[in-house]
Amino acid sequence: MKPSELFEQVYETASYTESVLHAHLELFYDEGLKLSKESDKRYTKNESLGLLDGIPIAIKDNINIYGYKTTCSSKMLSNYVSPYDATVVTSLKKAGTIFTGKTNLDEFAMGSSTENSAYGPTKNPWNPDFVPGGSSGGSAAVVSAGSAVASLGSDTGGSIRQPASFCGVVGFKPTYGTVSRYGLIAFASSLDQIGPITNTVDDTRIIFNEIQGYDSKDATSITPEYTKLENKKVKVGILKELMQEGVSNESQNEVNKVVNLLKEKGHDVTEISLPLTEMALSVYYLIAPAECSANLSRFDGVRYGIREDASTSYEMMNKTRSVGFGEEVKKRILLGTYALSAGYFDEYYGRALKVRSKIITDFKTAFDKVDFILSPTTPTPAFGFGEKTKNPLEMYLSDLCTIPANLAGLPAISIPTGLSENNLPLSVQIMGKPCSDYSLIDFAESIEEMVEFNFSPNLLKENNES
Amino acid sequence: MNLKATIGMETHVELDTKSKMFCSCEVVETDEPNISVCPTCLGLPGALPVPNKTAIEYIVMLSLGANCNITNEGMFHRKNYFYPDLPKNYQISQFDFPVGVNGFLEIVLDEELHSVEIERVHMEEDTGKSVHIGSGRIDSATSTLLDFNRSGIPLVEVVTKPVISTSKMAVAYIEELRQLVIDLGISKGKLEKGNLRFDANISVANEDSNELGTKVEIKNMNSLKSLEKAIDYEIMRQSKQIEKGESVIQETRHWDENKQVTISMRTKEGSADYRYFSDPDLPNMIIDEEFINNSKKNIQNLPLDKRKTLKESGLSLSDSNYLDKGDKWLYDLYLSTVENTKDSKSTFNFLTGELQGQMRKAEIDELPDWVDSEKISNLINLFETNEVSFTSAKDILAKLLGEDIDPKSYATDNNLIQSSDDEEIKTLVTSVINENQDIVERLEDPEDKLVGFLVGQVMKSSVNKVNPGSVKDILLKELFG
Ligand SMILES: [Zn+2]
Repeated sequence: MKPSELFEQVYETASYTESVLHAHLELFYDEGLKLSKESDKRYTKNESLGLLDGIPIAIKDNINIYGYKTTCSSKMLSNYVSPYDATVVTSLKKAGTIFTGKTNLDEFAMGSSTENSAYGPTKNPWNPDFVPGGSSGGSAAVVSAGSAVASLGSDTGGSIRQPASFCGVVGFKPTYGTVSRYGLIAFASSLDQIGPITNTVDDTRIIFNEIQGYDSKDATSITPEYTKLENKKVKVGILKELMQEGVSNESQNEVNKVVNLLKEKGHDVTEISLPLTEMALSVYYLIAPAECSANLSRFDGVRYGIREDASTSYEMMNKTRSVGFGEEVKKRILLGTYALSAGYFDEYYGRALKVRSKIITDFKTAFDKVDFILSPTTPTPAFGFGEKTKNPLEMYLSDLCTIPANLAGLPAISIPTGLSENNLPLSVQIMGKPCSDYSLIDFAESIEEMVEFNFSPNLLKENNES
Repeated sequence: MNLKATIGMETHVELDTKSKMFCSCEVVETDEPNISVCPTCLGLPGALPVPNKTAIEYIVMLSLGANCNITNEGMFHRKNYFYPDLPKNYQISQFDFPVGVNGFLEIVLDEELHSVEIERVHMEEDTGKSVHIGSGRIDSATSTLLDFNRSGIPLVEVVTKPVISTSKMAVAYIEELRQLVIDLGISKGKLEKGNLRFDANISVANEDSNELGTKVEIKNMNSLKSLEKAIDYEIMRQSKQIEKGESVIQETRHWDENKQVTISMRTKEGSADYRYFSDPDLPNMIIDEEFINNSKKNIQNLPLDKRKTLKESGLSLSDSNYLDKGDKWLYDLYLSTVENTKDSKSTFNFLTGELQGQMRKAEIDELPDWVDSEKISNLINLFETNEVSFTSAKDILAKLLGEDIDPKSYATDNNLIQSSDDEEIKTLVTSVINENQDIVERLEDPEDKLVGFLVGQVMKSSVNKVNPGSVKDILLKELFG
C-alpha cells in the first residue's frame, strides 16, 4: 500500500469514527495528503526515509507542532498557534511521518478519563458509553479505532498507559530523560514523559527508536546507555501491593494469567513487596500539583491565549485565569499552591520529596533482585462516563498502578492481555529499571506473543459488517 | 538618645554574556523592542530552560572574587509571583543553595580599611521591561507595553550582611563591587545602563541596642549620588520617627529623585510568599574542583591586588583606592610612569589632576597612542627638577595631547626652560625693584605678602622662564640683605 493510500484509508476511518469518538480535535487532511504523496515519490525512487516514512501518526494536543493550534484541550489556549516544533515532532518529521492531527486530552493532561477536556470528552471505541481513559484518551482511542496507525501521548502519572489499557492498545512510558520534553506543554516537569501508543509492541519500538535520544534543548534530557538482558530467562517480580484490595479481581487475573505463561516458558517469577507503593498516590498528588501550580502560571492572558478585558493588568490576569481554566485544573493549581506555601512546605511538598526519593531507592533495591516488575496497568477496566467525576479520589485511584513508575522515572509499558466481563480490554504493566527501555520492549513483545490478544473494538466490527 | 543605622545592600549585577541565561538569544542593547526573543524567554508553552555555562562560570568568578565559599551542588529554584513582564510568572533564581556564601569585600573609606561581609552570591534571570503609558506606575497606567529583550539576561545578586553603617560606606562598597565585576570581566559595570542595580535595607536603632531596628527597603536609586542621598534621608526620617516615639513601619520605599525623599510603595502585607521550590526543569549545578579551578584561571589583578601594588609604589590608601577604581590605562600609565619619576604623590597628582582634567576638557576618552609613560615621566621630571615651570608643564601636556612632541625638545625649542642663572635673575629683579619703588617702601619684613607680588612681577617679565624659588631668594637678598 502506498503512503497516500494508507493516509486515505486512515482518514476515511476517521471520518466515521470521529463523529462517535471525538478523539481528534483537529485533522490535518490537506497537509497530510500532500506529504503522503511526497512520501509515495520517495518510495518509488527507493529513497524512503525509513520505517516511519509515510506512516500516519496522531499527536496529543499538548505537544507543539509549528503552525498548528496547541490547545491542551483548554479554553485558555483555544486560539494558540504554536510558532515552533516540539523536538519529538522534529524527529518524526525527519523520519517522514505524516501527522493525522491533534488528539483530545484532559485539560492540560490533568485527568484519567478525557472528561476534563474543554472541547467535550472522547469515547471509548470498545463501547462509547465508557471513557477511553486519560489524559491521552484521544491518542489511545485513535489507535484503537484505526484513525491513526500510532500516536504520541504524554504520561505524568499513567496518562499513556491507563488509556492504552482502557482502549486495548500498547502504551509505553520511556525512562525519564530519554525522550525530550522540549515542546511538550508541561504539567509536572519531573514526571512528564512523552511516549508512543501503538497497536503492537514492535510499532512502539520503532517510534521510540525515532524519538529517543539526548536533546540539548531539554536540560533534564540524558544520553541513555541502554541496558541489555544477559539471559533469555528473566526474573520477574509481582508487586504485592498492586495485587491486593483496591485492584479488581479481573485486573489481578490478567497478571496471574501472564505469570502462568511466563512460568511455562521457564521464567523465574517471585512476589516482591515495596510497601511505599501505597504512599505513591499521595506523594504524586502533592508533587504533581505543586509543579503544575508554577508551570501553569504562564497562562495569564498577557502574551498569548485568551484574554478577558479588565481595568488593570492584575484584574485581567485574574479574570483570564478564572475563565480560561476548567475546574480540575483550578483544583490542582490551588492544591499545589497550598502545598508550596510558607508554613506548609515542609509538611507537604518537602515530605513528599523525601518519600519520593525513598521510593526511588526501594525500586533500585528491588531491581537488584528482579529484571522486571509485573502488575495490572489499571485497577479496573474502563468505567462509564460520569461514574467517577463526582468523587475525585476514586478517579485518582485509577492511576494507582501507573504512578510509581513516574515517581521513580522508570520505563513502563502496558500491553493488552484480555477482555473483561463487559467486553472491555484489560492489560498488564511491566516496569523495568532506568534505561532498560529496549529490553523491556523485547520482553513485552514476548508476552504479547504468549497472550495472543486478537480482539478489536466493536466500533470497527460494526462498521466492517455494514 | 544616640541612634545608629544599620544598612544591608542587595545588588543585581547584569552579566556581560553573549547569550541569555537559559536560551541562546543574544543579549542586545537596543531600544527596538522584542527583537531578541524565543519560546524560552517569552515563556511560551512547552519551552524549556537550558543553563548558560559561561554565566555560571561568571557567578563562580564573582563568588571567588568576593571571597565566598562555593556551593558544590547549587540549585535552581522557582520564585513565584505574578507580574506582566515576568513571562513564566516565576523567576528562575536560587534559594537554599546559592553559588557563593559567606564572603567579604575589603573597602577603603578615607585612609581606613573596612571589611563588608557578603552573605550570598546567587544567580537570577532578569525580567522583561514594562513601559507604563500615562503614568510611571503599573497601578495608574492607561496601558503598558512590554519588551522582552531583557527577559532572561543573567543577573547575579550579591547580598551583604547588615554591616554597613553610613551612606559613604555603602557608596564605597558599591564602587568596590563595581570595580570587581569590571576587573573580573564579567559585567560592563555601567550604573547608568543599569548593569548594577541596588536596593538598600536600612534600620535605625538605639546605639546600645543589640537588636536591629525595623527594616525598611529602599528601591529605585539609579546612581551613587542618589544612593548616598537616599540613605541619608532615610536614616534621618527613621531617626526622627524614633525620637518622636513613633514606630517605624516595615515596608518598601521608593527614592523619588525629583523630590529627594523616600516614598512608601504601598506596604506589602507581611513578607510576600514566593513559594520557592527547586526547578524540576533544571538539574543541580555541579560546581566541582575542576570547574572552580578553571574559573580561577580567569581571575587576576582584582581591585584588592591593584591597591596593594599602588600602595607599594608609595601612594596613600585613599589615592590607591582612587586609582584602582579608575580606568585600566590610567592605572597602567601610573605604574610605568612612577618607575621613572621620583615622587609617587606628584605623579599621582599630575595624572589624576592635570592629565585627566585636560582630557576631560578636550573630551578625549583615550590617551593618544603617542603618549606613553616615557614622555609623561619626562614631562613630570621637567617640572619636578624646576627645568620648566608647572604652568609650562601644563602647556606642554596640552600640546602633547594634540600632537606627537618630545616634551624636553619642545620646552627647549619654545624657550620654556627656566633660567637658574643668578645674573640674569638679578637684572630682572633690579628692574622690578626700580619700577615698583612705592611697594618696596611699604615692605616691612620678608614674610610680607607683597614679596609674593614682586616675585610674580619678576616671573611675568621673564615670561615664566625663571625659577620662582631662585627669584624669591635673590629678591629677598636684594631687599633685606
Ligand atoms: Zn530567548
